Amino acid sequence: MTPSSQAERGAAATALPAASIDRAVEDGVPVYYLQGLWRLSHLPEAIAALRDAAPTQSPRCVLDGSRLEALDTAAAFVLLRRLAEVGYAAGGVTLRAMAERQTRLLALVNERMHAPAVKPSPRRLGPVARVGAATLRVAAHLRAHAAFIGAVAAEVLSLVRAPRHFRYREATSQFESAALDAIPIASLVTFLIGVVFAYLLGVQAQHYGATIFVVDGVGLAICRELAPILVAVIVAGRSGAAFTAQIGSMKVQEETDAIRTLGLSPVQVLVVPRLVALIFGLPLLVFVGDVAGIAGGILVGAWQLEISPVTFITRLHAVLPLSAVVVGLGKAPVFGVFIATIACRMGMSVARDARSVGEHTTSTVVQSIVWVIVLDAIFAVALQRLGI
Amino acid sequence: MDTVLEVDRVVTRFGSDVIHDGVSFAIKRGEVVALIGGSGTGKSVLLKEIIGLLRPTRGAVSLFGTDVWSASDAHLNELRGRFGMLFQDGALFSSLTVGENIAVPFREHSRVAEELICPLVGFKLSLVGLSEDTGRKTPAQLSGGMRKRVALARALALEPEILFLDEPTSGLDPISARAFDALLHTLSASLGLTVFMVTHDLDTLLSIVDRAIALSQGAVIADGTIEAVRQSDHPWIKEYFSTRPSTRDEREQ
Repeated sequence: MTPSSQAERGAAATALPAASIDRAVEDGVPVYYLQGLWRLSHLPEAIAALRDAAPTQSPRCVLDGSRLEALDTAAAFVLLRRLAEVGYAAGGVTLRAMAERQTRLLALVNERMHAPAVKPSPRRLGPVARVGAATLRVAAHLRAHAAFIGAVAAEVLSLVRAPRHFRYREATSQFESAALDAIPIASLVTFLIGVVFAYLLGVQAQHYGATIFVVDGVGLAICRELAPILVAVIVAGRSGAAFTAQIGSMKVQEETDAIRTLGLSPVQVLVVPRLVALIFGLPLLVFVGDVAGIAGGILVGAWQLEISPVTFITRLHAVLPLSAVVVGLGKAPVFGVFIATIACRMGMSVARDARSVGEHTTSTVVQSIVWVIVLDAIFAVALQRLGI
Repeated sequence: MDTVLEVDRVVTRFGSDVIHDGVSFAIKRGEVVALIGGSGTGKSVLLKEIIGLLRPTRGAVSLFGTDVWSASDAHLNELRGRFGMLFQDGALFSSLTVGENIAVPFREHSRVAEELICPLVGFKLSLVGLSEDTGRKTPAQLSGGMRKRVALARALALEPEILFLDEPTSGLDPISARAFDALLHTLSASLGLTVFMVTHDLDTLLSIVDRAIALSQGAVIADGTIEAVRQSDHPWIKEYFSTRPSTRDEREQ
């Protein structure tokens, strides 16, 4: 559409676009009559109108505001940017019949518009660079974790020398929320797994008429593997996440800095009580889990496999080696140490914004669960080699 | 000049606490108005009632002639496009970069083409006196003063007619605070903005504000130019204006 045909349409004044330009040449200088509402809401029309403002030979032009109804910064920006693109220097544009307010606005926009555009940030990395970056991240992560474990160990050592600095109250309250309050959920989950495990094992064993061996299987599996793993996963999701969120939001509120300024050590005040709570709490929960899992086995035995509870327990007594229970309980504090240190370190490394707390909490749960399973695999292989 | 904001006999109660007991005033287009008052006099609460975040117990608030609290959701959203709000600590979205924060209103509420959003965001940043690199940072990497500028750019994105500010200079050092005042003055004068702010800052009040409204014990105790308000006999106002530290020379004279 040529400018003149647009002008004709404008003269008809029926379908006038909200924002348009009427172009004329007066005394050899191009004059742009801005018409209508030059506003953010009509920006597409303004851009379409500007597309017709073709480059001219003249280094100067006139902007006429006599038909302009409204102008805002976004439209002014688009207008001046387009004029600069087609070759009018800022000094080559003369304003005519502009309201004082619009003149001021154009002057402000002109003064501030020369910043280059903000480019979208993400640079796409190649696959090799991504693997490299991820490796470096993991390495930095492990290094930071090692440093944190060192700091915690040093604090624990100083507490052993001066036990009166240990915060019993904080440790017991953490023990209550991390261990005692978790008893119902831990026993429910292990009980149900005991039921499922005994049932599946029973179905297979019935083919051979060897249902009594279900007792051996349930006892060993629950005590040695299932209860410790399940309890550790529950605690990682429940208490690990809570630790990170608690310490992280304290970090955001600068409470950890306040602790430090008051001459206290955040590790001693926040980390050690939680660590102690999990070291003692996890074995307790694993024991509860052992009992609940075996109870699940007894229930299935009595209902489905015609093994009376008395027979079940007598058989269990004969076949379950004490070492299996001890190994299960012994793994628990190690899991506890890992969950507590991961959770507390992630909490302490929260940045000062709300999103970071959420990210670190998620990361705690994922890391804790992965580490629990890795450790369990290490235990399984090592103990097998040692013949335990 | 037409009235853009009218607060009519607003009463606010939280339980048995009476926060506002019949507060009324009106603001005309182009005015720069400050709401002053001691801590706990319900200035921020009133601001929330004006912008439709908190319902007053009684009374009416109208923006551009529309009653905020009886407007439909669609109508209220339309009104929201006509005012900008600068929250006390910026309230920038921490999961987005600075540039993306400013782009949110463009993406959600305008028909601006995607390829124009980037240059517009850059322009808005420079309008509030920030460089283009700022756009790539996250809000957590910014200083308090920069956060407020970014929040101002976001508030100005949709070209509002009225701008609400909640303590625009709180938490800034005096130099940044005065620079922010100057920026507000430039923008309000050039863009013809109406500005309504809650502030404690006497320097802001004396430098860029046309009119002050003082709240105390749930009522408006003074309303007028700074000079007029200053002449008031109310003890709180007297004390407020006497807190301005005079320099040693002035005291010795």
